[in-house]
Amino acid sequence: MSTKSSIASSPLSRRGFLGLTAAAASVPLLAACGGGSASQGSGGGAGGTIKFWDMPWATPAYNDAAKKLAEGFSGANSKASYQIIQWNNFYQTFSSAIASKTGPAVSTGGGFQAFQFEQQGQIAYADKVIDKLQSNGQFDDFLPGVLDPFKTDKGYVAVPWQLDMRVFWYRKSLFEKANVALPTDWPSLLEAGKALKKVGAFGFTTGAGSGNNYANHSMIMMMVNNGGGVFTKDGQLDLMNDRNVEAMEFVLELVSNGIVDPAAVSYTTDNMSAQWKDGKAGYGLFQVNVPQRVGDTSGDLLVADPITGPHGDKATIVFPNNIMMYNNTPSQESSEEFLVYYLGQLKELWRQKLMSALPVFKSITEIPEFASDPNNVKIVKDWQPIAKTFASQGNTLNANLAALDGGQALNQFSQTIITGKSDAKTALQTFQSALESVLKK
Amino acid sequence: MTTTTAQSGLSRARQGIAPGGGGSGNRKSKLSAQTTRTFFWLLLPSVVLLVLIHGYPLIYAAVQATHDGNLLQTGNFIGGENFASVLTAPAFWKAAQFTLMFTIVGVFGSWLVGLGLALLLRTRIPAGGTFKVLLLLPWVVPIVVSSTAWNWLVATPDSLIPSLFRNLGLGTPLFLADPNLAAVTVMVFKVWVSFPFMMMMISAALASVDTTVYEAASMDGATRWQQFSQITLPLIARSTYISWILMTIFCVNDFPTIYLLTGGGPVSATTSLVVLAYRTVFQDFATGPGVAIAFLMTMTLVVISVILYRQIRKSSVE
Repeated sequence: MSTKSSIASSPLSRRGFLGLTAAAASVPLLAACGGGSASQGSGGGAGGTIKFWDMPWATPAYNDAAKKLAEGFSGANSKASYQIIQWNNFYQTFSSAIASKTGPAVSTGGGFQAFQFEQQGQIAYADKVIDKLQSNGQFDDFLPGVLDPFKTDKGYVAVPWQLDMRVFWYRKSLFEKANVALPTDWPSLLEAGKALKKVGAFGFTTGAGSGNNYANHSMIMMMVNNGGGVFTKDGQLDLMNDRNVEAMEFVLELVSNGIVDPAAVSYTTDNMSAQWKDGKAGYGLFQVNVPQRVGDTSGDLLVADPITGPHGDKATIVFPNNIMMYNNTPSQESSEEFLVYYLGQLKELWRQKLMSALPVFKSITEIPEFASDPNNVKIVKDWQPIAKTFASQGNTLNANLAALDGGQALNQFSQTIITGKSDAKTALQTFQSALESVLKK
Repeated sequence: MTTTTAQSGLSRARQGIAPGGGGSGNRKSKLSAQTTRTFFWLLLPSVVLLVLIHGYPLIYAAVQATHDGNLLQTGNFIGGENFASVLTAPAFWKAAQFTLMFTIVGVFGSWLVGLGLALLLRTRIPAGGTFKVLLLLPWVVPIVVSSTAWNWLVATPDSLIPSLFRNLGLGTPLFLADPNLAAVTVMVFKVWVSFPFMMMMISAALASVDTTVYEAASMDGATRWQQFSQITLPLIARSTYISWILMTIFCVNDFPTIYLLTGGGPVSATTSLVVLAYRTVFQDFATGPGVAIAFLMTMTLVVISVILYRQIRKSSVE
């Protein structure tokens, strides 16, 4: 009140008045430029609209269904909006939106995105969500080990919602034609590859072309399958360990025996799918739901048994895709409420057969729409329990893994190995140096 | 009008001086201070807009190139460290070498094909208009579609073109898997995508050439080659240089052609500077070095453009 009267009584020139008017007029303009920042707030308890950003995880039908689920949320003081973010430059999209305070309150995203933004102080920890899941019983429904990679000293960085699993698939008719048994270990993988080659098929199908990370995943999988991995248990780079060298020497042996397609280095995922569909791929690492993906549901494409490494190790790799919450939210309580709600609705996506990944909840693996496929059952039973993350031999995920997965260092390494251009130690040494320079930044 | 008068008139016309006008110096002196101020205020919004559109991203990029941050945080100032690390990296020079080859082949390959087709379409051939439209297709079709089509033509040993080679007894070339063949394939693809642009530029230039010049040359006994080299090429030189500048910029900045077809592989064989910059920023999350690469590219393009622009002015004077 006193301020008002002092302004009213003070002498004000015409120019001064115009200046003040202009300044006042510019405030709404600047506020408008701020976009959603005003509406997002910073974590109070007022409720509002929770912005949920989701990726195109499958066909457009998936996004339609996910939108319906998200928009079906009706919290105590809030509702939710749904937006699809394309994979193309997604990290830039998230970064610029977060920097301008127009980002989501909750989102799915890249496998290690939550850790990247956590490093930058943008992530809201999900410990209270975990508490709520414990109280509503969903916590006990998680498949074994799927939550652990998200637990850091400060709390849960995100909550997993689907598992992008890498498993070996095979074409039954080609093995019959080649009259060879399914591989159970590395020597039998080599023998099967040689036999498949005689019938014009490849025994270690992979690809490293534009946008295709399967060769990268195959290399890391073979390291992990031999008890190795990119990192030590405490997260230090450890590419030159004996197990990794041995694993890459074995892959090079596969290459030199013509068991890896010489054109694989340029294969996109579509090219790889075509190789599977055309009966050129006999055996190789791929994702969940390969028959649907390649368009051959005749029953000839099947999930193989996990193979044992020379030292008795048995493992594969998994990317636990997750849902994360951000600090910039109209209400942290509403974000948590939404996330608990959404996790409870996930079953619908598998019920509609929209997902090409494993669910994280045991109850979803038991629904008829999922369990009626023997390949799914085998993956849950035989592969999920032995799955490890890119952080292996460590356990907890971290921001550095984003630069490893899909980064230039791993891509160069995989291409070098599957073209047989180098010996294992040299390739690993180059990989280690390249990765060290990236992880420093 | 005497020659001197005509040249003087042309010179005045080039300077934008109307007949009877006194030249810019004279005109300037006539402008009152108030008019200058009016011009200033009228221009200001456009200048501010240009600075915001071009200046701000440039300044922000400069800031990122001299800091060790990421897409979200600027980080600490590190001076020219990013530039130093980029310039001492073998990957940068390998990419620069490929970019140079890609640009040379892309510019001159598409120019030669475009020139040949423009000259061919200038002659009276049946359904010339239809051919012109059909020849524009590689330029018109979205690059995502054409790169996918090319991928299916050459990617696997059983794709159409490798199969054709095999049936002809020429082995099974791995067009995208062999580093040398992949580089050649990407360049051929670039020429295929770009020649319609060159064809249109040259066709437009040829259309403005007076045909009586050729008739006169013919009567003077000039051969076809002499007509082409002494008349056609000089008369379309201006358009040629402009198209070279534009195509150089297109090639150096060309991301989708390379990335969609090979992703820069195999083993970096087709990684150009723009692909390297993209991968450094968005796959390695090393923002500073990636932006430094983009800066170096921009500087190189500016130098090339200035050199070629001087050629345009030279050809105009000639």
